[in-house]
Amino acid sequence: MVDIGTLSLILLLAMFALLAIGMPLGFASAFLAVATLVMKFGPDVLFGDVMSGDFGKFGRGPLNVLGQAVYRQMTNYVLISVPLFIFMAALLERTGIARDMYSSLNIWLSRTRGGIAIVTSIMAVIMAAMSGIIGGEVVLLGLIALPQMLRLGYNQNLAIGTICASGSLGTMIPPSIVLIFYGLVTETSIKALFTAAFVPGFMLASFFIIYIIVRTRLNPDQAPLPPPDPGDPEVGEKRKLFLAFLACLVICATAVLTLRALFFTVTGANDVTVGVDPILLGMVSDLPWLIGALLVALALILFVFGRERTLRGWNLGKGLVAPIVVIGVVLGSIYGGITGITEAAGMGVIAVFVISVLRREMSFDVVWDSLMRTLKSTGTIIWVTIGAASLAAAYTLAGGPTFVANTIVGMDLPSMGIILVMMFIFLIMGMFMDWVGIVLLIMPVFLPIVLKLPIEDIGYFGQLQPSHVAIWFGVTFCMNMQVSFLSPPFGPAAFYLKSVAPPHISLTDIFKGFLPFIGIQLMALSVLLIWPGIVSVFL
Amino acid sequence: MDEQSVWLGSLRRPARLMMLFTIAVTFLTAGWLIVGQLFLGSNVGMHQMLRPGGLPVVQLMLWSLLAALLSTSIYLSDTVGAIEDEPQGFFDILSLVTSRLAMMGVVFVVLVMFYEVVARYIFNKPTLWANELSLWIAAFVFLFAGQYAMQQRSHIRIYIIYDLMPRWAQKMSDCVSVFLIWVFAFALVWGGWNEARDKILRMETFGTAWDPPIPATIKAAILFIICLVAVQALSNLIADWHKAPEHHSPADDIDEDEIRKLRETLGEDGNG
Repeated sequence: MVDIGTLSLILLLAMFALLAIGMPLGFASAFLAVATLVMKFGPDVLFGDVMSGDFGKFGRGPLNVLGQAVYRQMTNYVLISVPLFIFMAALLERTGIARDMYSSLNIWLSRTRGGIAIVTSIMAVIMAAMSGIIGGEVVLLGLIALPQMLRLGYNQNLAIGTICASGSLGTMIPPSIVLIFYGLVTETSIKALFTAAFVPGFMLASFFIIYIIVRTRLNPDQAPLPPPDPGDPEVGEKRKLFLAFLACLVICATAVLTLRALFFTVTGANDVTVGVDPILLGMVSDLPWLIGALLVALALILFVFGRERTLRGWNLGKGLVAPIVVIGVVLGSIYGGITGITEAAGMGVIAVFVISVLRREMSFDVVWDSLMRTLKSTGTIIWVTIGAASLAAAYTLAGGPTFVANTIVGMDLPSMGIILVMMFIFLIMGMFMDWVGIVLLIMPVFLPIVLKLPIEDIGYFGQLQPSHVAIWFGVTFCMNMQVSFLSPPFGPAAFYLKSVAPPHISLTDIFKGFLPFIGIQLMALSVLLIWPGIVSVFL
Repeated sequence: MDEQSVWLGSLRRPARLMMLFTIAVTFLTAGWLIVGQLFLGSNVGMHQMLRPGGLPVVQLMLWSLLAALLSTSIYLSDTVGAIEDEPQGFFDILSLVTSRLAMMGVVFVVLVMFYEVVARYIFNKPTLWANELSLWIAAFVFLFAGQYAMQQRSHIRIYIIYDLMPRWAQKMSDCVSVFLIWVFAFALVWGGWNEARDKILRMETFGTAWDPPIPATIKAAILFIICLVAVQALSNLIADWHKAPEHHSPADDIDEDEIRKLRETLGEDGNG
């Protein structure tokens, strides 16, 4: 009825109008899906001649695509990982794991300039590798590290920026809920996305740390050293303690892996079969290596470090064990080939629960409270998915994505120009909108365009493999959303930090502290754009 | 338990007893079935759970499970959490009850997955039902979560312009929003009615080994729950009609209660 160009324009304007009047995003998209179908087929095809009492069209017709789109989302196995990851993060927040991890990390770096800021970043990376949600992280870091940094007389902007920028890493380092949604929408392998995001994620984190080191070396008064603690070990001694602690970790890890490999050997699960991928570190041939590493670590402890020192090192560092176990369970499940993303999230919940029971921090109220938060966030996120899925189905039926892709490609812009425009749109939208809305509504339109661009035009250094374009774009998008957590006027990280910061720190102060870190994020984003091959390092 | 009752009032104690009783029956029946499966060589397993025809113990199991889920949700909905608004009408209470059901659903999904992973990797005996069961539960969790988020007014909205409007314009906007939600619910039911009806009458199954009736139940549940969500939206509109104009900021997502609890977890000094 209405041609697709007009229809797209009407949709865009109507979306702005509906969002402006404060209609919930999911329902606005859902209604626009109905509107799209009405414009495409006309009311007669959909509803028949109801006015003259003919209800013959009731119960069928093109409107059924809406129900089917919703049904597809409801029975999507990967989508189950979303409530599970949220549940896990909610449980994790209520344990003392983060506090203990902070104390453990802080010991090793307390004599380094800017130590607490570096510890904050490292801690954020570890927490990011445990779960894929931000929010809780910024609040936790704000509660733990901010008072310390301010008490020691750290530069306020440095402290604020470090906490919020590192706290937002949660969605950049796998597992990441943003990448899960991107994978769902674009039917890209989520495991591949996670693998690809490793290098860019750690690159961003190391940029933060390098920036902290450089800034505090140039301006030592921005990060005064704490007065030396008489009970604190010497620097050289500390290094040995740390190595002894590492040796303990190696023993634990190799012992677990050896047991696992032995178990596989006993049950015959790792018999060498043609066509079946060998189990990572679980084959009979891996056993000598594992046992060898175990013995070397044991020998180091007994003969080089000495038992007493090892014990001391272990006591100083043991706060890191719980996070490592959780990461091992979640990422190990995914990469060890044990489970998919969804079950890994379920195992993460179990791991956090067990650790917290062992730490005697678990109670019915903690679980119930976490469940309430989980359900609230799940409802919020999933129903945007429902609305967006309906809209995407209706718009695809009307031929929308092809139309947009053809229009943009037909405009004869340089490929990198198109991509830069897209990045700009993401940045602007990220200032006002949640990433869920962006990935669900914009991605189905943008990705087909990117896939149509000539591959040799993407990036300036190195060549991206054709099969990696969707993955690269997902990681780039994820990096882009990092900025949206910090960007004024609605950067959520600022508000999370504001809620736990001392009252004299205003929102303006917080956003001011973000500026250099936003610059670093943009720099990392441009690395991804200039050298797209960075995502293929581990693929 | 001397907490304030939200809506059950004097029925709180009977509801609690009912919950404990049904849970006990469920556990006893389940225990009996597990013992039978493991030691007595009975072959009543998950397969029979979907096809209870003529097996009284399976019937008992299913009905007591249903009763236990419902009575537990009803009892638990009688206490609101610190992050929740007080319910203000019948539909708020209904949403709270279904939300309790969904919260338990999340726990069930985790347990089912754990069982499956253990069975598959330690005992090398993958189940035939865990995958479908978690899908089935999760679909209801997702749907009820939307209803709950609607009752809690936590769906994602953009308030930049809305907050600038005078109160009467906000009211108009809310009316438009609710009306459009009704249009969507109406269109969904209009387009999906026949399919949902046919599938539930045929009890269409998923087509896997365990073969649960996922299409039959979920297709119908989508239509039903979207109507509940639409009704909840209208109920919110009426309940909020006389409220003073509100101003929103992203800070609303953060609740003081959560931060208080975090501080408690972190200890008095808050610095470890």
